[in-house]
Amino acid sequence: MSTSNPGGTTRGKDTTVPETKASPLLSVEGLHVAYGRRKVVHDVGFTLARGGSLALIGESGSGKSTIAKAVLRLLQPAEATVDGSVRLAGTEVLSLAERQFRPLRGRQLGFIPQDPGSALNPVRSIGAQAHEAAALAGERDAAARRRMILEVFDQVGLPDPVRVYDSYPHQLSGGMLQRVLIALTVLPRPSLIVADEPTSALDVTVQKLILDLLGDLRKELDIGLLLITHDLAIAAERADTLVVLKDGAVHEQGPSAHVFAAPRTAYARDLQADVPALNPDRYRSQRPGGPRDELLDGTTADATTAERPAQIAVTKVTKSFRTRGKEVRAVDGVSFAVERGRTHALVGESGSGKTTAVRLLLGLEQPDSGSITVGGHATAGLSRAGLRDVRRHLQLVYQNPFTSLDPTWRVGRIIREPLDRFGVGSTADRADRVRDALQSVGLPADVVDRRPAQLSGGQRQRVAIARALVVRPDVVVLDEPTSALDVSVQAGILELLARLQRDLGLTYVFVSHNLALVRQVADTVSVLRRGQVVEHGTVDQVFDRPQHPYTRALLDAIPGTSGLALPAVAEASPEHDNIQKLAEAAL
Amino acid sequence: MTSGYGRFALARAGQAAVVVLLAYVLTFLVISVLPGDAITNSLRDPQSGLSEADIQRIVQYYGLDQPVLVQLALSLGRFLTGELGFSLQSNLPVAQIVGDALPSTLTLASTALAIAVVFAIGIAYGAHYAPPRWAGVLRSIPSFFLSVPNFVIGLVLIELFAFRLHAFTTTDPNSATATLFAAVTLAIPVSAPLAEVLIASLDHESRQEYALVARSRGLAETQLFARHLVKPSALPSVAMVALIMGELLGGSVITETIFGRDGIGTVVQKAVTGEDQPVLQAVVSLSAVVFVAVNLAADLLTPLLDPRVNVREEANA
Repeated sequence: MSTSNPGGTTRGKDTTVPETKASPLLSVEGLHVAYGRRKVVHDVGFTLARGGSLALIGESGSGKSTIAKAVLRLLQPAEATVDGSVRLAGTEVLSLAERQFRPLRGRQLGFIPQDPGSALNPVRSIGAQAHEAAALAGERDAAARRRMILEVFDQVGLPDPVRVYDSYPHQLSGGMLQRVLIALTVLPRPSLIVADEPTSALDVTVQKLILDLLGDLRKELDIGLLLITHDLAIAAERADTLVVLKDGAVHEQGPSAHVFAAPRTAYARDLQADVPALNPDRYRSQRPGGPRDELLDGTTADATTAERPAQIAVTKVTKSFRTRGKEVRAVDGVSFAVERGRTHALVGESGSGKTTAVRLLLGLEQPDSGSITVGGHATAGLSRAGLRDVRRHLQLVYQNPFTSLDPTWRVGRIIREPLDRFGVGSTADRADRVRDALQSVGLPADVVDRRPAQLSGGQRQRVAIARALVVRPDVVVLDEPTSALDVSVQAGILELLARLQRDLGLTYVFVSHNLALVRQVADTVSVLRRGQVVEHGTVDQVFDRPQHPYTRALLDAIPGTSGLALPAVAEASPEHDNIQKLAEAAL
Repeated sequence: MTSGYGRFALARAGQAAVVVLLAYVLTFLVISVLPGDAITNSLRDPQSGLSEADIQRIVQYYGLDQPVLVQLALSLGRFLTGELGFSLQSNLPVAQIVGDALPSTLTLASTALAIAVVFAIGIAYGAHYAPPRWAGVLRSIPSFFLSVPNFVIGLVLIELFAFRLHAFTTTDPNSATATLFAAVTLAIPVSAPLAEVLIASLDHESRQEYALVARSRGLAETQLFARHLVKPSALPSVAMVALIMGELLGGSVITETIFGRDGIGTVVQKAVTGEDQPVLQAVVSLSAVVFVAVNLAADLLTPLLDPRVNVREEANA
């Protein structure tokens, strides 16, 4: 159908159901959506009670965002055909003319988008845009609207509402912008809010605050929530009902605690197994080395170098930048050491200095003071040629495989590039090594002729790993290597990394904001905050006995680990094992 | 913010002045390395009717018996004090020749710019909001406009409106109607890149998440266009307007010739054929000044339209 041409292909099943208290807030039946000839949503149905919450969960391509947009009627009629029935408080909305539907927008149906950074017009002030939302509440007087706006900004916990009102979007942090968007959405008191991955662009601690805020406001104002997420743990924690989607169809649905603790379908079980917070020891058996407690405390560089030379030693490194006349210490006296064949994690939120630390390690920036040695060689103060030599043993796998591969190059050339740069071997040797690298990352040999656009996200990240491995480095820096990928793909990449480390004796520096993931893959960890290491130690030490309040806050923010109400029936059921894991994961 | 903007504006104005001076020096050097001694050729031309004393005076004035660098210093010094010298052909002050021709060209160019902006906005709005079939047609218009040379457009307009419909006469090329048609001729190819940029940025902006969110807030398409899309879409167009000034200046030479108007175009044409170096130098420098001034205006306008542009960082750049 087309949202502006309801007479066309829409088959609204029943448009004349009178609004009664008995009808659910939202009921979706037999929903089909197609983009051109490609069908992306098949026969989806679910209901949401007044004031209730329901989570649509699935990986990319599962159609979850498309369903949200279909409910909101935000799909462009030229691009998508929508079929089926969507009833809001008993009123069929798909067949309404846009003119009749528009009064419902904002007033009945609120929308919180995924990326707060792009959800506000960058060239208009927050206040100017807030007036649009305030106008929906029926207030005509501009001064009264301003009062309402400042009040709701205060309600969502924005400090200094007047300053926020006068700001432009780029002057606020992501967390503050998402608060602004929540404020604007709840301002006209809608009966239903559709939130499309509302926190996936935010830091973990901010994510928790935003989700808490949304939950409190919902209770206070009796607003129903349709939550779209790829994160099973968030969904289970924040919604009463879960709907698991795969390839555009409903795979499993039911009360959250049931679906989460005792998934019935294989797919839901896989999704659950891939949530890092629930399976902290998943890759332990595949990794080299024995129990982690036997490891030397790899954090004080001097102590370890005396006995076993560390593969990487970073000692009291400091780096400052000047921005807008202010001096910012991006990295402030950071020290850590990593033994050969081990994985060290740098954990922190945005602004913690982890990116700068990686750039220093790779020799892309020079430290103001302190020393960095890799394999016994200092990287600071090296000439270009010296740096080249170090880099051969030090490779980077970048965060986003969708942007880190040149889209015009074929995979073979991408992987061969470092060999060409370092002038390794003959042409035939290089071709052999490219083939070996592809094989070791589990890609078929024929991908050498393909371009990145023809590969999936997981395959692209495998290409990036192959490119790093082809020069046979000793150290690989993994900068959020899975944060752009789906959980099931992430699991595959992590397994691959663990196997490569065991087979090749690689040393990893693993940069992440995701503590649950770090627990799965790292031996030792440094927690960074505002450029300083606030806590370090083995993973077990830091996770089981966190000393610093910031580490504790980070651990608490891992979704799926804080007091999820489990159904009483499950306790004595065969799913006891899962419950046990949940309890453990709750730390 | 204000003092930051002041410093930014000063820095940009300074850069603009440097560009104008460099353009002047470059033009001078290019003309002086051209084969043949241009000035002496036209002075010695028996048809110029200059006496030996006149010639000596002119040679003295321009320092023609001295090295090129001295000539440059002499000429640049005069340019900085606003003195443009004398034409070698007519012996009239260059300032007077250019001053007489300028108003006609400025009228033509500014009318053309206004028409081009209106065309571009109309095409872009239509391409975005017209029914799909018409939108497709409108989208192909810019490349059509771009591919027709403007002398063809001019000749067609003259044939149609002057000779067939008698909307204007070619004997009075400075009448308002004739000026309008000349401006349309000039505006059509100039509007094409502007329309393309506008269409592309409207497409881009309307796909942004904030447009989706604004729509979810119940804004109608016209409100969305006026409140949310116009300003961000205009940003790249402002830079584009500055760039198409070059095309306007170049195009006006051809257009003036076709419509038989007297203007800078005619002056340039005569100066080139007569190797009239001082006039050429003045016209090229003047074009550089206009071009740089318009770009400076665009630069100064951008931070006012786009709050994201950090003037302090820009000023240091």
